[in-house]
Amino acid sequence: MSAATALAPALPPRRSRLGLIVALLAPIALINAIGFLAPVLNLARMSFYEVEPTGAMREVYTLATWAKMVTDSFYAELIVNSVSVSLGITLLTLVCSYPIALYLHRSTGTWKTILLVLVISPLLTSAVVRTYGWIAILSDSGLVNNSLGALGLPPQRMMFNLTGVTIGLTEILMPYMILALLAGFGRLDPRIEEAASTLGAPPFTIFRRIILPLTLPGIALGCLLCFVLAVSSFITPKLLGGGRVFLLATEIYDQAIVTLNWPLAATLSILVLVIFGGALVLYTRALRAIL
Amino acid sequence: MTDQSTAPDQGTNGTAGEGFLSIRGLTKRYAGFTAVDNFDLEVPKGELVAFLGPSGCGKTTSLRMIAGLVPATAGRIVVGGQDLTTVETHRRDMGLVFQSYALFPHMSIARNVAFGLEMRKVPKDEIARRVREAIALVHLTGKEEHKPAQLSGGQQQRVALARALVIRPSILLLDEPLSNLDAKLRDEMRNEIRDIQKSLGITAIFVTHDQGEALTMCDKVVVMNEGRLEQVGTPVDLYERPKTAFVASFVGRTNRLKAVAKDGAAEFAGQRVPAPAGLSGPVQVMIRPHRIALSPSTGSEGVTGTIARAIFSGDILQYDVDVGGQIVSVELATRGGETVLAPGTQVSLSWRPQDIFVYGAAA
Repeated sequence: MSAATALAPALPPRRSRLGLIVALLAPIALINAIGFLAPVLNLARMSFYEVEPTGAMREVYTLATWAKMVTDSFYAELIVNSVSVSLGITLLTLVCSYPIALYLHRSTGTWKTILLVLVISPLLTSAVVRTYGWIAILSDSGLVNNSLGALGLPPQRMMFNLTGVTIGLTEILMPYMILALLAGFGRLDPRIEEAASTLGAPPFTIFRRIILPLTLPGIALGCLLCFVLAVSSFITPKLLGGGRVFLLATEIYDQAIVTLNWPLAATLSILVLVIFGGALVLYTRALRAIL
Repeated sequence: MTDQSTAPDQGTNGTAGEGFLSIRGLTKRYAGFTAVDNFDLEVPKGELVAFLGPSGCGKTTSLRMIAGLVPATAGRIVVGGQDLTTVETHRRDMGLVFQSYALFPHMSIARNVAFGLEMRKVPKDEIARRVREAIALVHLTGKEEHKPAQLSGGQQQRVALARALVIRPSILLLDEPLSNLDAKLRDEMRNEIRDIQKSLGITAIFVTHDQGEALTMCDKVVVMNEGRLEQVGTPVDLYERPKTAFVASFVGRTNRLKAVAKDGAAEFAGQRVPAPAGLSGPVQVMIRPHRIALSPSTGSEGVTGTIARAIFSGDILQYDVDVGGQIVSVELATRGGETVLAPGTQVSLSWRPQDIFVYGAAA
């Protein structure tokens, strides 16, 4: 009895703190459950539905669609293709963005603000508009080919193929990459670079031994973000690929809207989610290795 | 590192001229202002020289020019007869200890210390040996595999010192190395840096705004103000024979009193003090508080004043004496048994003529 009364005063605050945590988390948990979790579960269920030869979907469970994933080499190729193209674009975006981010990190004052606004400004325009901009530049009678023609050089095919998709997506992803890199450049300190220099490190060695390792967290974050955006990008591959570049997102769109094979679209969507999960695991592992 | 016979310093063959480090006419101008103006200095081998001055006096800029981190606008930097003025930082062979330590956060302590040796392509087993010795020298044995963030400020400072020393630099540059440490650690590191510098016989420059550090640690002190060199001398020189009013007031504590000079003498409270030739009109008279003798009897020779305040702080008894409207601080070392004179008591002050300095009022 006496022990119970001695413990009693300690219990209510803990319980009310737990209550507060639950109360604070409830709204976002509810929104996520209705807006994200339920549709994803629905999608997962749909991937097991049967498809009639006419294309209509029947609410009968079957493993047929998933079996097709495994047996039809087209889908294996589609996944490998999507992942490798996205990885390539991510790498290209990183190479293009890194010097800009480093320069931005080192600039100061008004100049830095101006540059930062310039980096962010493309995000104010929709990807659709920017993709059309690239069409005007890359198409057979576009800016580049007209210039090549004027110089007497043979025209280059830069649209409706992987080249166009790569160029367009890289440019579209660059602002995200630059911002992610900047967020991860916190450990860079000019004094540390100076210290390396006084110890005898020439500029490239300073980059390799000091700057690069210190910016790895930013690189990992930027690559994760851009890879996820690249795999799920749809408009740019659709418009610049012209149906000749087969990627997961465009295939999902075709299956859902054109072919009306919803179970197949659902299965591919779940696969995209699995790929994202894999990327996230890799990112976490990489981060743990870096820090 | 502790074994001098196997540690021949690099780039120290022959001291050309009078200084091992010779700085001539070093100048740094930025748009609109001159950070360092026509700086001349000769540092003999093995000396520890302080660059002392208030913030913004150009001492750090001078150090950074010596390290090659800031290009000089004009002037020359010569080390051991070799002109380094246009040599890139990474080829200068100088060890720099930063105020913020600037350790490589992603490397272990051992890797931090090894970095400079790796840059010099020293064989692996020798790197291991020298790193071990350097870490032992700064009393950090056992912390080799720690990351800098796992060490305290004082320990990080020691790593920075070991990292700069392990390459056996021609010159060790220390940029306010103690100002981020707490008082107790600062005193400890002060002695440690001095001992290490002496035992290695390394030429070193120590940038500080703390006159105590400069006086107690260094062979020679360079006092700087607003980009210009005020005076170069031993700690005793600066304290006993300050050339300018700035040096007199910046190094040690002093009374700054207003007086009027004419005919080669300054008149202060009815007493005539010899003044440098050429001075006339308002001047500053400076005298250190503990170089003033105070006696309670009036009428004797000296300056008469009234005690405005008495402060007893154990080892020192300080009187603020009102002399003709100006406050003169007097410090007396306590011997025990003295009576503290009450405010309002008439006293007379006297001093030896060599303890009083007269400067133009403009300074």
